[in-house]
Amino acid sequence: MKYYRVFRALLKIRFQNLMMFRLGFWGPFFVDGSLFAIQLFVFDAIYANVERIGSWGRGEMILYIGTFSLINAINMAVYFFGVNGIVGKIMSGEMDLYLTRPVSPLFRLTFECMNPGSLPLLLFSICIIGYGVRTAGIRLNAGRVLAYVFFLGIMVLLHYEMEVLIRSAAFYLVTNARMEQLEEAGLQLCMNLPGITFYGIYKFVFYCILPYGIMATLPVQSLIGDMEWETAVFGVVIVAIFTGITALVWKQGIRHYNSASS
Amino acid sequence: MKKYKEIARIYIKSQLAWRADVLFNMLFTVAKILFAWLLWGMIFRERNMVAGFTFHGMLSYYIVSSFLSQLEMARGISGEVSARIRNGTFSNYMVMPVSIEWYFAAMEVGVVLFYLSFDLLAAAVWVFVFRIRFVFGRSPEILLCAAVMAVMGLFFMVQLNYFLGILTLKFEDIGTFLMIKDNLVSLVTGTIVPLVLFPESVVRVMRLLPFYYVTYLPSMLFTGRCGEEAVRGLAVLGTWCILMQGMIAVTWRKYRKKYDGVGI
Repeated sequence: MKYYRVFRALLKIRFQNLMMFRLGFWGPFFVDGSLFAIQLFVFDAIYANVERIGSWGRGEMILYIGTFSLINAINMAVYFFGVNGIVGKIMSGEMDLYLTRPVSPLFRLTFECMNPGSLPLLLFSICIIGYGVRTAGIRLNAGRVLAYVFFLGIMVLLHYEMEVLIRSAAFYLVTNARMEQLEEAGLQLCMNLPGITFYGIYKFVFYCILPYGIMATLPVQSLIGDMEWETAVFGVVIVAIFTGITALVWKQGIRHYNSASS
Repeated sequence: MKKYKEIARIYIKSQLAWRADVLFNMLFTVAKILFAWLLWGMIFRERNMVAGFTFHGMLSYYIVSSFLSQLEMARGISGEVSARIRNGTFSNYMVMPVSIEWYFAAMEVGVVLFYLSFDLLAAAVWVFVFRIRFVFGRSPEILLCAAVMAVMGLFFMVQLNYFLGILTLKFEDIGTFLMIKDNLVSLVTGTIVPLVLFPESVVRVMRLLPFYYVTYLPSMLFTGRCGEEAVRGLAVLGTWCILMQGMIAVTWRKYRKKYDGVGI
């Protein structure tokens, strides 16, 4: 209950703050909206020349882009701007303020910079998903939709954990720029490439080490009915492992943190 | 000219301070090649040709376009100019006895010269690692045209980014606009996919824009395609450079008086 009240207060403060700069308020929507619109345009051009990429046709790919866009939209609307500030706060010593508050530092950091301006991205993503479902001619039923929602939920969690994990490296490093560069490269690659295209060592890297390759792939596979039970178990296990690693690294990092300008 | 050479030289030296950046820039060029390798590898399993490309022709295109786009480092100029105008330190550039635009052009020359050999090395390494049978044009005239076009393209991107940067004199915050611009530029310069994959009507429109000639056409020329567009490409890009220069002059004359040197 205490955390719910803190959450509401953080949302209210953030909303008031954002409304002062209205163009900036819609900024993330325009930037990310253009990114995914371009991606749709690119794959439309590719599918004008080929019928299928692996086992996926145009509809499945639109669904993939929409799902990645939805994960990104939740990220931008809820936690990105807060989590992204972790590195700066560790480097400057501002983390002290979070450690002395009577709420979990990670909770506060996660929800203090929510961005309601990204909410239209959610609608945009849902429209892409709807378009993808129609184009692919998928016959939806309650089981598939529930599986999709379940995998979407755990992949949002995985995305969040990856962001926290990568930024927690700042507890141990002088600069975190390389880690963030790695994250950007991995995300950019997997945003354009569904997991079904990976094989061998690439599959291992993008499924197990930097698991961006499964983030939109598993929800899409569950919705189109192309998911084997081993894949489903694998997805759940990977999320559980990364949850453990993130909790451990964050806790150890906080212990390792030695205040101002560490 | 001497002072601009000196600026370029200073920027070549200053790159040495961030040696890890050089290494990581080289390493991360692999992302684009890996994207092409996996995506097109899967597509070419079922066919031999897509839009006139063979698998190795397609990968050669990505190697060259990735090399050229990696060299294009002018996007920092708009951010630098914009931030300086906003915080009031743009005066540092205004008091220098050089043209500000040419200062940034000289800076770009310094940075590009420094990275040229490293990016070439990275391209060669990826050709070797991914065992690409590299397709390269044979006509010396076309290759010369491609090289000149690539240089003009880099200059155009300096002009464009400088122009966008000085727009901060009129509009307070152009950060969002710059990010959207980066997204669009990656599409229209053909660094995500070759523009030939788009419908002919779209390509016809893109041929009128300068971006077609920044990365896409030089890459196609270097890989031995679109030779008939080489001379026309130089003419179109040259015209755009002149037009952009005019727009910079007009914008600068009109809005420089708005700058008060105390930050916005």
